[in-house]
Amino acid sequence: MRRVAYYKGCLASLSAKELDSSTKALAPMVGLELVELESVTCCGAGDIHEAEPDYYLHLNARILAYAEATGCDMLMTVCNVCTLNLRQANFMLQGDEELLARVNENLASVGVPAYSGKVDVRHFLWEIAEGEGYEALKQVAHRGLKGLKVAPFYGCQILRPSKIMGFEDPDRPWSLERIIEACGGEAVDYPAKVKCCGFPIIAAREETALGELIQPVEQAIEAGADVMVTPCPLCHLSLDAWQQKLEASTGRAFKMPVLHLAQLVGVAAGLEEAELKFKRHIVDPRPALERLEV
Amino acid sequence: MKVGLKIWRYDSATGDRALREYEIEAPEEATLLDCLDIVKDRHDGSLAYRKSCRMMICGSCGMRMDGAAVLACKTRMYDIAQEGRVPVISAMGNLPIVKDLVVDMDPFWSKFKAMWPWLEPGYDRPDDGREYRISQERMNVIHKEALCINCGCCVSECNAMESDPEFLGPQALAKGMRFVGDPRDGATVERLERYNREHGIWDCTRCYFCNERCPKGVDPRDAIAKLGAESIRLGIDRDMGAKHAKWFVRSTETTGWLREEELIPKTQGYVSAIKQLKFGASLARHGKVRPVPIPHVARDVNEARNLRKVVQEQDREGALGIVQGERALARLAHGGGAESLEEIYARPGAAPRPFLPGDAEGGAVSPPGAGGSAGGASSAGEGSAQGQGSLTQADVTPGKEPTRKRGGE
Amino acid sequence: MIAKHDVLVVGAGCAGMRAAIEAYDAGADVAMISKLHPTRSHSGAAEGGINAALGNAAEDNAEIHAYDTVKGSDYLGDQDAIEVFAEEAPGDIVQLENWGAFFSRREDGKLAQRPFGAAGSPRTVYAADITGHVLIQVLWEQVCKRDIPVYEEFFAWQLVEHEDRCQGVICWDLLHGGLKTVGGKTVVLATGGAGRQYRVTTNAYACTGDGMAMALHAGLPLKDMEFMQFHPTTLYPTGILLTEGCRGEGAYLINKDGERFMKHYAPNALELASRDVVSRSEQTEIDEGRGIEGSVLLDMRHLGAERIIERLPGSRELSMVYAGVDPIYDPVPVRPGAHYHMGGIETDNDGATEMTGLYAAGECACVSIHGANRLGGNSLMETITFGRRAGRSAAEWALSHTTVEVPEAAERDADARLRELLDREDGERPWKLRDELGTSMLENFAVFRREEQMAKQIEIIEGLRERYPNVYVEDKGEVFNSDLTQAIELGNMLDTALCMVTAGLVRKESRGAHARPHDYPTRDDENFLHHSITRWKDGGVELSKSEVRFTKWEPQERKY
Repeated sequence: MRRVAYYKGCLASLSAKELDSSTKALAPMVGLELVELESVTCCGAGDIHEAEPDYYLHLNARILAYAEATGCDMLMTVCNVCTLNLRQANFMLQGDEELLARVNENLASVGVPAYSGKVDVRHFLWEIAEGEGYEALKQVAHRGLKGLKVAPFYGCQILRPSKIMGFEDPDRPWSLERIIEACGGEAVDYPAKVKCCGFPIIAAREETALGELIQPVEQAIEAGADVMVTPCPLCHLSLDAWQQKLEASTGRAFKMPVLHLAQLVGVAAGLEEAELKFKRHIVDPRPALERLEV
Repeated sequence: MKVGLKIWRYDSATGDRALREYEIEAPEEATLLDCLDIVKDRHDGSLAYRKSCRMMICGSCGMRMDGAAVLACKTRMYDIAQEGRVPVISAMGNLPIVKDLVVDMDPFWSKFKAMWPWLEPGYDRPDDGREYRISQERMNVIHKEALCINCGCCVSECNAMESDPEFLGPQALAKGMRFVGDPRDGATVERLERYNREHGIWDCTRCYFCNERCPKGVDPRDAIAKLGAESIRLGIDRDMGAKHAKWFVRSTETTGWLREEELIPKTQGYVSAIKQLKFGASLARHGKVRPVPIPHVARDVNEARNLRKVVQEQDREGALGIVQGERALARLAHGGGAESLEEIYARPGAAPRPFLPGDAEGGAVSPPGAGGSAGGASSAGEGSAQGQGSLTQADVTPGKEPTRKRGGE
Repeated sequence: MIAKHDVLVVGAGCAGMRAAIEAYDAGADVAMISKLHPTRSHSGAAEGGINAALGNAAEDNAEIHAYDTVKGSDYLGDQDAIEVFAEEAPGDIVQLENWGAFFSRREDGKLAQRPFGAAGSPRTVYAADITGHVLIQVLWEQVCKRDIPVYEEFFAWQLVEHEDRCQGVICWDLLHGGLKTVGGKTVVLATGGAGRQYRVTTNAYACTGDGMAMALHAGLPLKDMEFMQFHPTTLYPTGILLTEGCRGEGAYLINKDGERFMKHYAPNALELASRDVVSRSEQTEIDEGRGIEGSVLLDMRHLGAERIIERLPGSRELSMVYAGVDPIYDPVPVRPGAHYHMGGIETDNDGATEMTGLYAAGECACVSIHGANRLGGNSLMETITFGRRAGRSAAEWALSHTTVEVPEAAERDADARLRELLDREDGERPWKLRDELGTSMLENFAVFRREEQMAKQIEIIEGLRERYPNVYVEDKGEVFNSDLTQAIELGNMLDTALCMVTAGLVRKESRGAHARPHDYPTRDDENFLHHSITRWKDGGVELSKSEVRFTKWEPQERKY
């Protein structure tokens, strides 16, 4: 069992509680002991980075400091946006001693432990796409997805900027496909899987955001997908909840179920509804999963 | 070496589109641009593409390779040819195609011009007929924005612009930041008001394609964030996007976590949000939102609140908060240089140590400020190990050998 | 004629844009014609810097700048022009800075200045290693501010001479097709150089001497065409430029043994000797077997990663992408490559040519401030100072005259000639001739020149010119027909190359960039202290000479 600090972020605490519950259920099965961080806040979601960037840096430094205080060398995220924000702040601090010193001084002044720069921030996706996590995943996914056609949707901030994410080729990613296949599903391919779901501007620029959102939904359907899967709860909210707005504006019924990554793997690993909480989805995935007898 | 290319040909006069495949013989050091030249010279003189400097400074040869915008002159073909890949070459996106790989740049330039892309001198002009006196550190605020060569690679893949063609876009906005961040400019507020309009900075959907594609390291998305930060710093925050961003700040200092249920009313205003009631009700049915939001407060949230107070009193407000991290982030892109000079000279296969004739061999004069310095081979800076993506599109991949293969003639 | 203007500027690099801005500010209705969008111009590829005696880094003044330039020119520069240049340069730099140019700074906030080859003081203002890019951007910004119209992707082909003055330009509209004539009371040529005559060159594909050829074909004199500067540090094998700023920052040139060979050739200035001196030294090392694969090595390792990344990021990237070498770890293979035409269209100090209403500025012009050899950093400055002067005088002339007239016959004749080329169904593809020209020029008319090779090169060019009327264009369409414009460019390169070699053959001495170590190893002021003048006459080159203008410096031996 590898101890990792677990940062669930805002959505998994509220609108996407199903992500939190399925992650917590799945983690031990793939060799991860989650140490949940308590005294932490929102990462700022790119919004504080834009509104008050210096505050953004400090908020994230605080999260990293508390992660380090657990004694773990890795902070695990379950959200694209948290991953980018934390990794970016981490590199800013690691690459500039002066900046790190200033931030630590500020942290100390409000009673937060110091951050040394030694924590690595990684998304759950990466933990199960290669190495020991992947080997464990193959073992636990015994129930299998039985050829379920799954459209992987990466979204943006798990791939780009690649110099900050640094895990896989941002134009030809492979991690979700590999996991889908390891679970016995069939990954369908479509170009918009690496594009934006529109979520960051869905409240402020709904029309523009929906113009983006329709691409993956439409393409996944055309590619014959039974369900979509995403490593990001924001993409999930956009794809799942705002899908009804797409339906309203186009007059078409998409009814495309969208699973969190931990849910998809969870299905293959035999997790129950109590942990998967599919009833919390707007588009209920259970009919699509019926033949798997979940 | 043999190079295969599939090129999307397009004739605007007839509207015909066709994917043509070419196989050519090219020298090992050939770039995509060199290969196109060979196609045009020896196979099909009617192939149209722009080119000029062939050294990634003029910005003419933006096009797509396998769907990703690149500068043809920056894209070496050796590895691709070795893999036996036959890449698909097409015109850039988000701009109308004129012929083959040539796009109509008029929409691009009209957005550029909408930024007032020139210095509006402020009041404190030098009165001695000399240059402004400004520190390099202060000028470095716009160092990255000044690198832009207007090639259009960022615009090509801008996801927001695909959906809203009127979006000013990454290139124009980066140019805007180039002036907003320039201490000599006296029109900051007027500029920000303008850039804050409907198709301005708050249209950006943060897909980060621009940063990924930029062949010069401009990082247009970061420039847009800097414009947002400056807008909010100066109280130019009427746009829903600005309100949205500010709500996150408010949330973190009150409850720590995002007050999600209030995000839409705080962004759109309670009156507009009423239109969303039906939508909200559907979310409530599935437990996505609660009928009565009871604040979900993070432990020790007072630390976050105090932290904000502390940083607000320091002089890193607005865009400077982003700029302060650029040095460290640049190390991710550059890599290298952790060794001492002696270690570099001692590397296997190293070129001989320089010496002045007359000096004892090995007695090279050390120049001022020389010597191996603390560069930043960062722990996680291995780049994308799985593919060639970032080799050809973004900054030179950290820590990796250069794209290699010195060709013979 | 699709439009007419007071002033028509052909070419939109630094000289062209600066001329257009000045003409606009003088009150003229000005427009620019360019075969590229302005920011694509090759001025933008200049890396190292721009010279003006600001005296920010050390004691300096216009007189020292002028003297360095005169000496660098091997006493072939016109001294009155050089004095004007050195005196006006600082004001022009300050203006660019005030317009917003993103120059590098000193600790005290003033403009930074770095040492450059053959300069008596650190005089080169710079912006890291993207100085040209920064200038192009600031000038383009000022063009946008004034909303000066640009006939973009218009390929200028012929000057319209009517009633003994220049009244417009006939162009091929690259984007839409068709010949379009734009009238101008005055025309300023600012079309840049012709380095593409050589296979190894720092120049962009666009540098094909179009303006020089237009002037030549209109009967105007080209001056000092034999002087082609070879830049000492162009990347092997592509010829892409690595800035002199690398050596300014302290980089060494070494041979295969690691020896800093410049000690033998320029014991004091070493790597920072004048460009012609460094290029010859490198070529000698290579010719005598102390090079590696036809190149020597530019060694920056001792500068350290921090300094390379901070001051020379562009050079590092170019080395990595085009030579596969990271200069932090390995020296970069470099060799001399064709870089800059010291010669060009003869003008006076205000850019005026022999033809009324026609002006020229920048690399396509020859004022002459560079004489037989140009100093690094002087050409960007020339584009600004003389671009401004040409724009001003062109505007003043235009504002005191009224009519523009283009005879229909001129357009008809041009159209007939163009259609003849476009309709030709078979023959030779232009690239074959282009490649033969590039290879032979490099072989026979490069750093070192010999009588028999030059004579042979004239024959080769004549042979290519005979074949040229048989080249055919494969693309028969109207839209973005670059096959057509490239065929026209080839003709321009052939004719200007003929001028160069013809002038070189008769200059039986070694001066600046014209080095004949085997037959005439020294400078011969008695017989050759004069400009070479070439004109087009009866389908060939007619040669004559003109006086060099002296003010206060007597020719002396040139040592570094």
